[in-house]
Amino acid sequence: MTVDLTQFHDAFFEESFEALDAMEAALLKLDVGSPDAELINTIFRVAHSIKGGSATFGFSEIASFTHSLETLLDELRSGTMPVTVALSDLLLKSVDVMRAMLRAVQAKQPIDSQRVSDLQFDLEVAIAKKGESPAPAPVAAAAAAVLPGASGAQSAPAVDAAACDPSWRIRFHPYRELLARGNDPLRILRELAALGPLAVQADAAMLPALGDVNPQDCYLAWSLELPGTVAEEAIRQVFEWAEGDCDLTIEKVPPEEIAPAQQPAAAAPAPQTPPPAAAAAPMPASPAAAATAPKPEASVSAIGDSGSIRVSVEKIDELMNTVGELVITQAMLSQLGSHFDGPDAEKLRAGLGQLERNMRELQESVMRVRMLPISFVFSRFPRMVRDLAQRLGKQIELKLTGEQTELDKTVLEKIGDPLVHLVRNCIDHGIESPETRVAGGKPAEGTVHLDACHRGGNIAVEVSDDGGGLDKERILAKARSRGLVGPADSLTDTEIHELIFVPGFSTVEKTTDVSGRGVGMDVVRRNVKELGGKIEVKSEPGRGSRFTITLPLTLAIVDGQSVAVGTETYIVPLISIVESMQLKASGVTRLSGRSEVLSFRGDYLPIIRLHELFGVEPRSRALHEGLVVVAEGDGRRVGIFVDDLLGQQQVVIKSLEANYGHIEGVSGATILGDGSVALILDVPGLIRAASMRAAA
Amino acid sequence: MKTRKQQAPAGKRAHEGPAARGPSRRRGAAAPKSRAAGQRPLALTAECTVAEADSLKAALARRLEDAGMVTLDARALLRIDTAALQLLLAFVRDRRSAGRPTEWRGHAPALDAAAAQLGLADLLGLPAAEAGR
Repeated sequence: MTVDLTQFHDAFFEESFEALDAMEAALLKLDVGSPDAELINTIFRVAHSIKGGSATFGFSEIASFTHSLETLLDELRSGTMPVTVALSDLLLKSVDVMRAMLRAVQAKQPIDSQRVSDLQFDLEVAIAKKGESPAPAPVAAAAAAVLPGASGAQSAPAVDAAACDPSWRIRFHPYRELLARGNDPLRILRELAALGPLAVQADAAMLPALGDVNPQDCYLAWSLELPGTVAEEAIRQVFEWAEGDCDLTIEKVPPEEIAPAQQPAAAAPAPQTPPPAAAAAPMPASPAAAATAPKPEASVSAIGDSGSIRVSVEKIDELMNTVGELVITQAMLSQLGSHFDGPDAEKLRAGLGQLERNMRELQESVMRVRMLPISFVFSRFPRMVRDLAQRLGKQIELKLTGEQTELDKTVLEKIGDPLVHLVRNCIDHGIESPETRVAGGKPAEGTVHLDACHRGGNIAVEVSDDGGGLDKERILAKARSRGLVGPADSLTDTEIHELIFVPGFSTVEKTTDVSGRGVGMDVVRRNVKELGGKIEVKSEPGRGSRFTITLPLTLAIVDGQSVAVGTETYIVPLISIVESMQLKASGVTRLSGRSEVLSFRGDYLPIIRLHELFGVEPRSRALHEGLVVVAEGDGRRVGIFVDDLLGQQQVVIKSLEANYGHIEGVSGATILGDGSVALILDVPGLIRAASMRAAA
Repeated sequence: MKTRKQQAPAGKRAHEGPAARGPSRRRGAAAPKSRAAGQRPLALTAECTVAEADSLKAALARRLEDAGMVTLDARALLRIDTAALQLLLAFVRDRRSAGRPTEWRGHAPALDAAAAQLGLADLLGLPAAEAGR
């Protein structure tokens, strides 16, 4: 690797990651049976460019892998091989592996060679299957020749994983008859490797001389290590079939304990080789294998330039508050500077102008630290839905909307799991099998829809499906049998729907590994509650169900229109505004009592006078002297009467509840550029408040 | 998902089990591609699994005592499992401890992957493992 090339590495990684995203998206769109040639071309181009790039930069493992992938894709492109579900699965896994390899190389950490070679093997087999002859040989030979890590790096991933986290140490000692019972440690280890970087240490001490080996008996044992982040349940599941045929211990060990144990394995080339006679017999490497690749310098990896760091929310809040104070101080200084006279007054004002610009940037940056589009959570679903649908034999289309809705990172992080639960439920319980759907007069393909939007100062995330809906009878029967509901009680639909949130409640007769263990919905509700939100369910038998999670915005950016009423400034979220207009006195009708309505495109809208609602002295009480902002909330439209429109801006929402208390019609407050506080209007709340006032 | 691997196709050579080409061919002097050591390579079949383990063991046992270089030819290999790897391991190890040389010819991704997965690549002395060092 020359110094000249390394400067392009970042660009290569960036492009490759983007390309892989594109490839994954294209793969998910790829129709089995009748693949779109353009999509295959897109996928092929990605593999090709990554192969070229990685070869140029000397990332030979990636180049080798992508070469195999490219060979396979070429078969697809030329149409000599059909696109099957298994194949697109394989290709998706390849995307994962390539991503992992690129990440590893980027972080200057060892590549998980086992996983790579495993998948590469699968790719070769897929290619070979097509040809029926042992055709993969040339490709395979070339591929394997530049794959120095195939076994050499096997202990490396564990060192890497052990660097910071506790690990699982697994002692797997099969009984002799394990093989004869149809279990193969190879399959078990492969499945373990799929869970995370797996360190393998084989113990062949029990293996007798060849003549004494009973070919059907297993004489080997293994010490394995997996990162502590892997769920124990997942590990145990892998060994499920071998239960009773092996001695198995799974224990978690802290990093300090691992480090010394790992050290020798990493340092000495082949410590496992038991007899010292090892060197006596020459084992010449084949000529092809001489083409070794420069190994990534694992030793200098350390933490390096990883893409992100985790920062506690308190620290960011602190930062945010300080910035808020700074904004006020800066506004004060600007005010002062404008009155300043003297020889240097111009310079002072120029400096203050600069300060103001910098402040704005700082404020925006800090804000952006906390905000992320919900697409970060949504993006995991296409793959999940696809895999689940496949496993359950259902046809499902996933629709995502509102992905750009930004929300607080803490909220974002915590909303992920509940959403996964909901989507799983929709797929497992909601969407019926294609046969049932067709019989019910529905398209065979079910739809799961994920939507996010800002709604009245809240964020609403909806998961809906067009499946069978909640089965009220069954829920009720189950609740009665469990004594949750008395036999004589009659419940409303809403109350019945509420039952699904009861801990341990499940109507499914047979639990699947997908859902049905009854630990889903109550956890979902608890998580949402912890975020200060709520979850509601609407369901129509035969038509599907809709789960709506409403989350408060503790902190979010809102595009707002600032409006003036007297000396006060209010922010109306742009999303609720339909339009703003000047009223003619003739356009307003006064109904009985105090309520006024304006005629708007053949419709009559109630007018809300903000000054009345908030008790502010307006510039003018005459409707034709001010302006009306037509806003929409909860499906209703109103005209909000204000003195003037000031301008549009993005504002940070500060919680009023946290600092003061809840006010109906106000979703929060913000600090304006001049340091004054402006209330942010919550249009649906405003409508409620106004109608209560009118009714009073 | 993983069970898919079990369906790996048997290549053309699947039928020529090691047992099938036993002593008769050894006696026949035709050793087409002899190595420097003058011994013909021991070709592994496409399928090397527990089902073929008995014949594999027999084939290996016949060459165990060969004084010269024994070349294990893995080029045809498409599928291998723990049972077969274990036999190969015993073979390589026994020869090594007796001071008799063994070498590998040809790369079989299946072999490399399986050996690496089971942590046996070094013990088997697979070339990729040594080249990586």
